[in-house]
Amino acid sequence: MLIVAEGLEKTYRLGQVDVLALRGVDARISAGEYVAITGPSGSGKSTLMHILGCLDSPTSGTYRLDGEDVGALSGKRLAQVRNRKVGFVFQTFNLMPRLTVEENVALPLKYRGGVTRGERRTRALKLLERLGLSHRVGHRPDELSGGERQRVAIARALIGEPAILMADEPTGNLDSQAGSEVLKTFAELHGAGHTIVLVTHDPGVAARAQRVIQMSDGRVV
Amino acid sequence: MNLIESLLTGLDEARRHWGQTLLSLLGLILGTASIVTVLALFGGQTALTEQFLSEVGGRGTIIVSDRESSAHPGARELASKRLTFRDAQYLRDRASALVAVSPGWAQQLSYRAGNTSFTGQVIGTVPAYMVINDIKPLVGRYLSDLDVQRQARVAVLGWKYADSLFGRATAALGQIVSIGEKSYRVVGVLEREEFYFAAWENNALEYRNERAYIPISTAITQYSASDHLDFLTLKARPAVGAPGAQEQVRSLLFARHGVEDFDIRSSGQGAGQQAGQFLLLFNFIFLVVGVVSLVTGGIVIANILLASVVERVREFGTRMALGATAGGIFAHVLAEVLVVTLIGGLLGLGLGTALTGLVAHVMQMPAVVSPFIATVSLTTAVSVGVVAGVFPAVRASRLAPVEALRYA
Repeated sequence: MLIVAEGLEKTYRLGQVDVLALRGVDARISAGEYVAITGPSGSGKSTLMHILGCLDSPTSGTYRLDGEDVGALSGKRLAQVRNRKVGFVFQTFNLMPRLTVEENVALPLKYRGGVTRGERRTRALKLLERLGLSHRVGHRPDELSGGERQRVAIARALIGEPAILMADEPTGNLDSQAGSEVLKTFAELHGAGHTIVLVTHDPGVAARAQRVIQMSDGRVV
Repeated sequence: MNLIESLLTGLDEARRHWGQTLLSLLGLILGTASIVTVLALFGGQTALTEQFLSEVGGRGTIIVSDRESSAHPGARELASKRLTFRDAQYLRDRASALVAVSPGWAQQLSYRAGNTSFTGQVIGTVPAYMVINDIKPLVGRYLSDLDVQRQARVAVLGWKYADSLFGRATAALGQIVSIGEKSYRVVGVLEREEFYFAAWENNALEYRNERAYIPISTAITQYSASDHLDFLTLKARPAVGAPGAQEQVRSLLFARHGVEDFDIRSSGQGAGQQAGQFLLLFNFIFLVVGVVSLVTGGIVIANILLASVVERVREFGTRMALGATAGGIFAHVLAEVLVVTLIGGLLGLGLGTALTGLVAHVMQMPAVVSPFIATVSLTTAVSVGVVAGVFPAVRASRLAPVEALRYA
């Protein structure tokens, strides 16, 4: 079991008010699964993904990622876990505007350390070729279409060979054609054995996944 | 990712937007340039003053001059014989801090040779005066001990007076000149003395070209009833130095006179200060401008860094999601600041050097940007940048990844 989360609770403090984002969530995801977390806005789906992706920590509950108790880790170790185990794809792509496509893709390997420049380049070029972006290698993100940017972001998420690929509304900023291309890419990656967790409020997108975790009001329903 | 790699990443990315970076650095560049210029000019000015002091007899020269009696003199002051030839002898015997004592007498007298006549200064003195003041004859010789012993009617002319009286300075040698209606034979003419603090300043040593020297014994017997002196020129023992010698002379003379009816100062003090006053003001203005620009530059940099950090919070969130640590983010921001301020400092140094050259050329002043000045100005610039940049760097690195990503 790749992900084992039990009794996850998350409380935010907004000024004087405590907001309960998660009210006891259990989640289990096996290697190779393609899971969509869905629900209306404010249902806690993004909070759950942030916790599963080690970007946030739960107020209470336990979370084991790939057999490791993530709740007990220091900030530095958590950064390493994010770097090695998780690949993120964001709604707004979040590419570095001053870096080229190739440099953007290679960035996680730079943070990992111990990977030579030559190897980073080789791996980035290989991934970009696989995602059909070979002709964009030296371009900057603002010279790319939305669909291309998101595919660059997917390449960046994959380069560290993470155990799990996490995507937060990956089609939210794309037109329908670019969106369906991105979803096609996810389907291919799933077919190649990648584990994918995707957050979406769009039932049509959720339907492309193998399994749907439906959330409402901080709980799995 | 280790620290060095973080630094390299930061440097690499500062390189990519350095046009924007430069603009934000203007304050720092101007501040550094201004400080470089001020220090270089100030250094040049100090060297110039040093040179002037050595021209007028070096740092060890002390001048004791007779002070005008007060409007309502007290009993002690009335009793005082004021500065006398005996004081000179007394100091020669007692003042261990001195290596040379030269009594001096000065008066405005009429000069005449042929059809030319004017009134000017006459100095009565002894051979030691030449050694103390580093006076060199152009032709002929200076006064000798024998001249003093014999009360000889001989004169040594300053360059300007020799030139005015005889048409050509060297032509004066061996001629007869009338000083105060008494005839003197010219035994020497001195070299022309020149010193300029700045192109627009007059010759600071011109007064030395406009006088004649006669033996002190001659001066006193021909023109005075008493052995009253106008000044003493003293040379301090190098091991003691002028300030120590000055104190000894002051206490010895005070003990003899019972009243302080004399002034003591270092040679060149007056002239050097006067000539340097304008430059001091000039330096001060530049220094203020430099400090203000640097502070402004620092504030501008801090502001821009803070703004760019706020602007880039989501970028830092993304970097953390990709595996950057808090330390890595801190190093990244700091590296950008470092490289940016170093570039600003270097450009400021370049601009300052150019400005120094220009000012030195236009104003005919010596000024050199030394390695020391370069180091000081660069260090200042980088320090300002680091101080201004550390706060934004700390702020950026403290954010939790999810907070940074959500930052709007």
